[in-house]
Amino acid sequence: MSEVVNTALEVLERSLDRRLVAALEVCARCGICADSCHVYASEPKPEHVPASRAERVRAAYRRRHDPIGRRFPWLVGAADLTEGDLDALVDTAFATCTLCRRCTINCPFGVDTALIMRAARAMLTATGRAPEMLVMLADAAIARGEQADEFREVYREMVAGLEQEAQMRAGDPTLRIPLDRAGAELLYVGLSGAHTIIPAAIIFHAAGADWTLSMFEASNYGLFLGDPAKAKAIARRIVDEAVRLGVKEVVLTECGHAYTALRWEAPNWFGGPLPFQVRSIVEVLADYVRDGRLVLDPSANPEAVTYHDSCNLARNGGLIEAPRVVLRAAAANFVEMTPHGKEAFCCGGGGGLVAVPEWFEIRMRAGRKKAEQIRAAGAPVVATSCENCNLQLTDLSGYYGLGVKVTGLMELVVNALLAAKRRQALPAAEAA
Amino acid sequence: MPATWAALLVAAALVAVGGVAIRLRVFLRYPWRPEQAPARGSAAAGVRYAFTAGMAPWAKESTRIHLPAYLRGIVLHTGIGAGFLALLFAPWQAVVPAVVRWTLVGSVLLGALAGWLGLAARLTERHLRAVSTPDDLFSVALVSAFLTAAAAAWWDARWGPAFYLLGAATLVAVPLTKIRHCIYFGFSRYYFGLFYGRRGVIGGVQHE
Repeated sequence: MSEVVNTALEVLERSLDRRLVAALEVCARCGICADSCHVYASEPKPEHVPASRAERVRAAYRRRHDPIGRRFPWLVGAADLTEGDLDALVDTAFATCTLCRRCTINCPFGVDTALIMRAARAMLTATGRAPEMLVMLADAAIARGEQADEFREVYREMVAGLEQEAQMRAGDPTLRIPLDRAGAELLYVGLSGAHTIIPAAIIFHAAGADWTLSMFEASNYGLFLGDPAKAKAIARRIVDEAVRLGVKEVVLTECGHAYTALRWEAPNWFGGPLPFQVRSIVEVLADYVRDGRLVLDPSANPEAVTYHDSCNLARNGGLIEAPRVVLRAAAANFVEMTPHGKEAFCCGGGGGLVAVPEWFEIRMRAGRKKAEQIRAAGAPVVATSCENCNLQLTDLSGYYGLGVKVTGLMELVVNALLAAKRRQALPAAEAA
Repeated sequence: MPATWAALLVAAALVAVGGVAIRLRVFLRYPWRPEQAPARGSAAAGVRYAFTAGMAPWAKESTRIHLPAYLRGIVLHTGIGAGFLALLFAPWQAVVPAVVRWTLVGSVLLGALAGWLGLAARLTERHLRAVSTPDDLFSVALVSAFLTAAAAAWWDARWGPAFYLLGAATLVAVPLTKIRHCIYFGFSRYYFGLFYGRRGVIGGVQHE
């Protein structure tokens, strides 16, 4: 057995716990999961059936752990893992599975194929087979955390520029983007890019939130790699910052996997609940709407808007109603896609696929089902609360000629917020 | 039932129970790593859902669109349960009330039919054939033959030896073949309910 295979098997052994073993053992290969996978639905090949996808890992597991698999491997589909298997697994676990878990909710046994694929990703990462881009992005995030002090002044200057932009857009020179403010109620973590910071600043200002902006970005490529050590190192930057500033909660921008990483997985990496609450901006927006802290004018978004549920936020995070509360308040005509919520199809860009340029064609093909759904919904605007979904849906619109505009919830809220503000200001101006 | 057959079946049942016990012991030796994040929903409600409403054919898109395949599975598994009951009560076959007798025969017969249809599907449907292992084909064929023999033996006692032999083989196969998925089914559904219940996706209870 080669060193590489040995390393992969060691990682598999470390990953084995009751949940994973149950998922490996219980599958009866009935194949009923097939159509639930967006990749299979778009390209119905045997290797795209979720049950089949997990078989490479199962074969290696059975070879080592099943009494029949050890003696009569051909009978139970057991096989020694080879370097060739690992090469093939890259496609199976990274390129054609987004860990969306749609197969899991559709399986009569509840087989967690994403858990198996995450173990496969861990095996591939440990043997140097993970996509270079994902490794690079994870390492860059860790390096930024290690050299935070060097970035601080540059970032402060950049944020000052964003503050001016936000003031101009909101028409309010009193708007501030606080950075590094100890004692704030909430720490907002955006992504690299003004589009996740300016709308949030306008919203927090309007809602009178006591907030401060994080030095770091929310994304966590360690999660995609199935590498808990890297994922923890990336999450630690935000955890340490939140603890240092003494905030009560961390609010993550519109990013599906960042939510999974910090809200659900980080407590596992750190060995217990984090000393602050973690919420998505989607939940915060819904609360602001429910509490009347934001006055919105939905006529500012007059076109029909449909909503794409991010798998991380909805099916795997439970944020199904919150975005709808926001959309019903911020858009004049909200129409549902079919299916939606926990049954929504993955857009095909999750699991890190969007970040890997050479997989463009794969993710476009995998997104066909979503493109059909968008077309059937008939809305010219598609809202989503995930940056990766946003990128994928924008690409799908071009690829399939959908002609839709893809936007985030915050953007729609800011439109509605500023329109309401203008409307309120109008009578006052007329009276003056 | 002749003593030789009874002895064989008891031995086979002991192998099955012992095998299942070993499987369970090995399984429970693996670490349990519960989610540490504060729950959004109710784990208990999720688990309840996983074993009740979540099992209904209308609860899942997959079973809604593949209803015949789903029902085939339900009928097969009900038939297997009836088949083991038929084996257990075989010594008292002559004194079992007619209604029970024919209910058993009907259940195992339908189960056998579902099993053979399932086997045909595995052999003829391209994608199902591709995901099937020899163990899948063997196991489905074995239980289908067992159920066919059960129906035959309860119809006409001369089929008894075939029924006992296939019954013993099926019992031995429980921990060794794909039939062992019955050992893990409860765990898998429990983890499913726990995971999605805590996250507020199923079960209808949210804390936040």
